[in-house]
Amino acid sequence: MKQRFDAITLSIVWSRLIAIVDEAGTTLQRTAFSTVTRESNDFAVVLMDAYGRSIAQSSISVPSFLGVLPMLTKVLLERYFPPNSWREGDTVITNDPWLCAGHKPDIGLVSPIMRNGALIGFIGTIAHSPDIGGTLWGAGGRDLYEEGLMIPPTKLIDAGKENTVLLDIIEANVRAPKQTIGDIRAQLAANEQGTRALLRLMDEMNIDDIQGIAEQVIEASERAMREAIMAAPNGTYRYEYDADGDGLDEPVRICCTVTIADDEIIVDYEGTSPAHRLGINAVLNYTYAYTAYPIKCVFSPDVPNNEGSFRPIHVTAPQGSLLNAQKPSPLGARNITGNILHAAVFGALAQAVPNQVQADCGSACWCVVLNGYDARRNREYVEYFFLNGGYGARPTMDGIPTLSFPTNVANVPVEVLENSAPILVTEKSLRRNSGGNGAYKGGMGQKFAFKNISHEPINISLLTEKTKTVARGLNGGGDGKRGRVYIKPKRYIAPKGLDKLYPNEELVLELPGGGGFGVPD
Amino acid sequence: MRYRLGVDIGGTFTDFVLLDEAQARLVFGKTLTTYPDPTDGIIVGTRSLLRDCGIEARDIHTIVHGTTLVTNAVIERKGAPTGFITTEGFTDVPEIGRELRYDIYDIFLVMPEPLVSKKYRVGVHERILASGEVLKQLSRDDARTAVQKLVQRGVKSVAVSLLHSFMNPSHERLIGEVIREEFPHLYVSLSVDIMPEIREYERSSATIMNAYVQPITDRYLQVLEQRLQELGFEGKIHIMISSGRLTTVQGARKAPIQLLESGPAGGAMAGVFFSSLTQHRDMLCFDMGGTTAKASLIVNGAPEITHQFEAARVRRFKKGSGLPVRIPVIDLIEIGAGGGSIAYIDKLGLLKVGPESAASQPGPACYGRGGQKPTVTDADLILGYLNEEYFLGGTMRLSREAAYEAVQRHIAAPLGISVEQAAMGIRRVVDENMANAARVHIIERGFDPRRFPMMAFGGAGPVHAFSVARLLGVSRIIIPVGAGVTSALGFLVSPVASEATRSYVKPLDEIDWEQLNAMLYEMEQEGFAFLRHADADVSQATVRRVADMRYVGQGHEITVPMPLGQLSEQSIPAITSAFLQEYEFRYNRTVPGMRLEIVTWRVAVSAAAPKILPSQHGTNGVASKTSYTQRLVWFEGNAAPTMADVYRRYDLVQGVVYTAPAIIEEKESTTVIGQHARFSVDEHKNIVIDMYYPEGSV
Repeated sequence: MKQRFDAITLSIVWSRLIAIVDEAGTTLQRTAFSTVTRESNDFAVVLMDAYGRSIAQSSISVPSFLGVLPMLTKVLLERYFPPNSWREGDTVITNDPWLCAGHKPDIGLVSPIMRNGALIGFIGTIAHSPDIGGTLWGAGGRDLYEEGLMIPPTKLIDAGKENTVLLDIIEANVRAPKQTIGDIRAQLAANEQGTRALLRLMDEMNIDDIQGIAEQVIEASERAMREAIMAAPNGTYRYEYDADGDGLDEPVRICCTVTIADDEIIVDYEGTSPAHRLGINAVLNYTYAYTAYPIKCVFSPDVPNNEGSFRPIHVTAPQGSLLNAQKPSPLGARNITGNILHAAVFGALAQAVPNQVQADCGSACWCVVLNGYDARRNREYVEYFFLNGGYGARPTMDGIPTLSFPTNVANVPVEVLENSAPILVTEKSLRRNSGGNGAYKGGMGQKFAFKNISHEPINISLLTEKTKTVARGLNGGGDGKRGRVYIKPKRYIAPKGLDKLYPNEELVLELPGGGGFGVPD
Repeated sequence: MRYRLGVDIGGTFTDFVLLDEAQARLVFGKTLTTYPDPTDGIIVGTRSLLRDCGIEARDIHTIVHGTTLVTNAVIERKGAPTGFITTEGFTDVPEIGRELRYDIYDIFLVMPEPLVSKKYRVGVHERILASGEVLKQLSRDDARTAVQKLVQRGVKSVAVSLLHSFMNPSHERLIGEVIREEFPHLYVSLSVDIMPEIREYERSSATIMNAYVQPITDRYLQVLEQRLQELGFEGKIHIMISSGRLTTVQGARKAPIQLLESGPAGGAMAGVFFSSLTQHRDMLCFDMGGTTAKASLIVNGAPEITHQFEAARVRRFKKGSGLPVRIPVIDLIEIGAGGGSIAYIDKLGLLKVGPESAASQPGPACYGRGGQKPTVTDADLILGYLNEEYFLGGTMRLSREAAYEAVQRHIAAPLGISVEQAAMGIRRVVDENMANAARVHIIERGFDPRRFPMMAFGGAGPVHAFSVARLLGVSRIIIPVGAGVTSALGFLVSPVASEATRSYVKPLDEIDWEQLNAMLYEMEQEGFAFLRHADADVSQATVRRVADMRYVGQGHEITVPMPLGQLSEQSIPAITSAFLQEYEFRYNRTVPGMRLEIVTWRVAVSAAAPKILPSQHGTNGVASKTSYTQRLVWFEGNAAPTMADVYRRYDLVQGVVYTAPAIIEEKESTTVIGQHARFSVDEHKNIVIDMYYPEGSV
């Protein structure tokens, strides 16, 4: 018996559901070891109904997980664990990129929520683990198999009993075993916390089922999204976007066709480059998330996320392309590709709703992984850090210097970084005039340089973008300045991939500025 | 010399509380805050209070003062032209920030502007390594050139924050020395004095903010001291700081950012006062005003302190939209819910309340000052909680018609429900918002909200306390006396104290214990020196030592109590178990086999808090019998209004157990007591409400 709630009760219960996932998310983030999870909000907690439809998603999570856990849970229900097979105390784990979030470091955990013996919903978490084996995280893997351990959907906990064999296998395959297992346990704790909080809410409200509330919140979000899309002019809008690819001689092109048809949006990537030799390929789940994200920013930024927000958005990409990669394409640095899709979508939408979009940002976010032996501390280290380019200009405002978009990744403080790895940062400054000109100017990129001050070489995995291409201006705005990567004393380094930084060498990274908006006065 | 005076300058009112220590008597006073010079109001109010009590200014031995001056200077950007000196190559750090967006979906977001622009930021040739070792020595000439540049550009105050200075302050000290010797008219703030903690952006941000407000605070305190002396005052002045402690005028002039949250800290300290008065060691303070509600916890007789704070947020209730200031601040959560919060129907067709507020201008519709939109106060009036004839003691008449009209047009009609149902909806939504935020705040700290009695104050606090308490499962509510001047009251019970902070980032098994002990000793000595300087009784002083700790590899630290005395390798088990206990408490789990790391040490040296034994409070009228009237009031879940008893607070008699539902009116507020409760007044005239819960409802 489904219960329908009035506008007041619905408002109250909905806020509680969001508070439940946010609270579980905070706990996960505070107890995580993975830099990406804790500094970059690279995790998600999602509450779902018994059919795997999302009801509430943690609000600070990065866009990469939009819609992913519900897709995973639906597949689990269809192909692996049918509804009647779930028992209290179960948790399923997987990092299969095609089912989960597009690369192996993202581990998903889904637990059923049972009440009086009946399956009433699911809670899931995804988080970026500290390590998953294989090559150092980045674009360096030549195929899927070099990118580390693959965990097919498996019960990590079976009716309360831990699968110790699986935990042992994971532990034996990763670089930071204690931290990696620690983070999986943090996810488990978040699932438990969310489950408890939901059951408490149901006690308070004296209800046995969340199906009614699920349908109501989903309907409300869907209606808001459809109404917003309805207000935009129907039509088909195309935008072609060139990106670095390997940054050398194999660039990629993203062809984006956005069709607004009444209250629905269809995005098709026909014409996009085939999968790349480097691990910058995206699976369709991930392409969907980073396509739906800019659409949500434009049409429905303040409506809480759930299944309904995404029902009117459809995304297709040719099989085997950069945006719908198949086995065994390498996927490690698929974020480089995901992080530029907003520019293609905004570029197309600018033709329909020019006052609701922003110009291209100096993204994707640049990532540097350092690995080596620290003689000062007598230990091995693996450190990640992130750098952001300029934020694109808006129809009514300049861009902002060095701001993360579309992902949301904080920098690692220089003082923290120098404590964790034997490097000396020589400069962190804004690149003046790197933002594109325009009625509104693009945000500045930054210059960041560091030296190896140890006696051992440091292994580095480097992810950059826009060292060949630029952040393009919109509606007559100018392009941002491109980025640069070089080593002093001078020698060759590839903008993406694995290399070493030898003692006393200095790596200089100059990040691109954002695009300008509108014709300059 | 037997009087202490608390003075709190707020946006609208300046509040006074005078304590007669001999008779343990409190006298309250209130005047309008004066602009542009708030000291005018202090002098006027103090004079009138002295006159009323028939005493002279020289009878007061201590004045404790708190003000919104510093907060407002930062929000309104009215500080002095400020310069910033840092390590060459890093002058843009204050503008780069942490590169993180505070709102994921708003592409039109605005980030807080740094307090110093490019032109006022200069680099010096120097470099200290993470270990504290000097890689490149700073020359005196280079330091001088940097300062000169800033002076030529018109700077009045200088902030200095060099990389890794918390490990080795010598270069910052050198710049400080050059400024004092060669540019004596300049104000200077060194990061090593303001916030000697790792993370360059946060440290620079706090140091810059301190420099920015220093000249203005200095001038203000100088004028205040002088004018109080002219009044005949010969005693000490203490200043309330964000941590709920008191500092000296000199301490406030040196580190004015400590004053950022002095008003709210006073409110929380009033909670400490009432917790000891009513013998509850733990308490939830709930303060609801016109625009915001605040919740904070008192645990074991002390307020919870945090070191994560942001000033001048671009969006008031959005974490991350302000400038970070890592100073000790009473840990309180601010919610966009107050009497003036506006109710509306959002685009999903849902009823929402706040955070937008009609504030006091134009105010709720029922104020009849031009406000058209329905607010929480309008709903409270419609439901019968407020008395239109006795609002603010009858000084302001409320319009029931205007409240009806606003709720009807904006809420009831679009939802197709009655005005009363709509008003109840507004109330339920705003109460739920507050309860939700308070619940998250409490659970995040590892506590169960049901174990805390609630103390409610602020104009709207007692009106909403009952239903918020019900949602949290709280079983006792205390509505204290003096609800209109709580912050000033809190000033009088706060201890003189100082807190020293020092980052020393090391895994436990790599600590150089000798170096650490020397550092802790120095920090303690600084604290004692400060107390002596403040004329506080050092023999009664207590030392509290805590450390921010984490597992090696984590990014968030938790604050853990540390053993006192000399530490050594033998202390590792005690430190470890303190960490594990705190970690388990907060997150319900620990991570076996991981190394531990300490990031920052904090040492607080505190004099004893002054004790107030209020044998008698404020007004003394003893009523011989209880008089009350009755009116119809709507309570949640009822289809029709209920007849409730209505009392004047001044008529309530100690020792009587009253039955609910009831409404208690007083000048500053109205206490609403719903069903399933009873209440009484204690010997201090606090209202004590005991609630009971039907089986299985919580």
